[in-house]
Amino acid sequence: MKRLLMFPLLVVWRALFWTYERATWQYDLMVIAILAFVWLTPPDWLGDPMAQGGKGLIEWAIGFLRLGVRG
Amino acid sequence: MTFTGAIGALCMVPLRAIIAACVALRVHPNILTLLGVFINIVAAWFLAQRRFLAAGFVMVVANIFDFVDGKVARELNLESPFGGFWDSVMDRFSDIALFIGLLYLYAELGRTDYVIITALAMMFSVMTSYARARAESLMDKCKVGFMERPERIVLFMIGAFTNRMAGVLWVILVLSVVTVADRIFHAWRELNGSARLEERLMAELSRVE
Repeated sequence: MKRLLMFPLLVVWRALFWTYERATWQYDLMVIAILAFVWLTPPDWLGDPMAQGGKGLIEWAIGFLRLGVRG
Repeated sequence: MTFTGAIGALCMVPLRAIIAACVALRVHPNILTLLGVFINIVAAWFLAQRRFLAAGFVMVVANIFDFVDGKVARELNLESPFGGFWDSVMDRFSDIALFIGLLYLYAELGRTDYVIITALAMMFSVMTSYARARAESLMDKCKVGFMERPERIVLFMIGAFTNRMAGVLWVILVLSVVTVADRIFHAWRELNGSARLEERLMAELSRVE
């Protein structure tokens, strides 16, 4: 049980106190997380002054799914 | 091979040809560094003019110069302590120029919120480099934290090419704050010689692994 509780703490600690080199799988994970944030977050949520069409990929996907449900 | 490693290897193919050309022409690496700064200023101007796509392309060119200078210095046997110092100082100018371009843009758009976010991101980006430089004047290495200059530059390019600069600025800001904190913590731990608190935590955590 203690091990289960400690694991997320370890992940958070390692992500915050970053000591990994580039081109490691940990680095890849971080890059994927950053790209997901940048590309998937709707610009409207961030109040992006420049992005045209405030919908991001998340909103687009939600809209697409809703359309699919309605048929 | 990792995903980022494969991208790096792919990018090295044209870069090797550029390095070879610079070596053949015996271009002084300090000149390449300076050219990189001037081209980054052009990129900043494009950012300020809301021309993100053009800024992205110019940033690619600028950072080719930035990347190859060290390699050319090595190939031409022109590595020197001054070259390293010159490169670091010019890198700060390049970094700050891009942020100033965005500051101008958001100020012109009347977006005080993004002026503040950009200013904070700029401050912590400079502090990331300063913290490492100052720490390494007192100890051996202080290479901790994720958000270093190559990451920042690639993020700027992604923001410019895909018009997602707001998200990029948030990422740069948050991860630069964390990186500065990492470096302060690392320096404190190494210089105080009292890593007890962290050692206890790591011992506890490694027992879990």
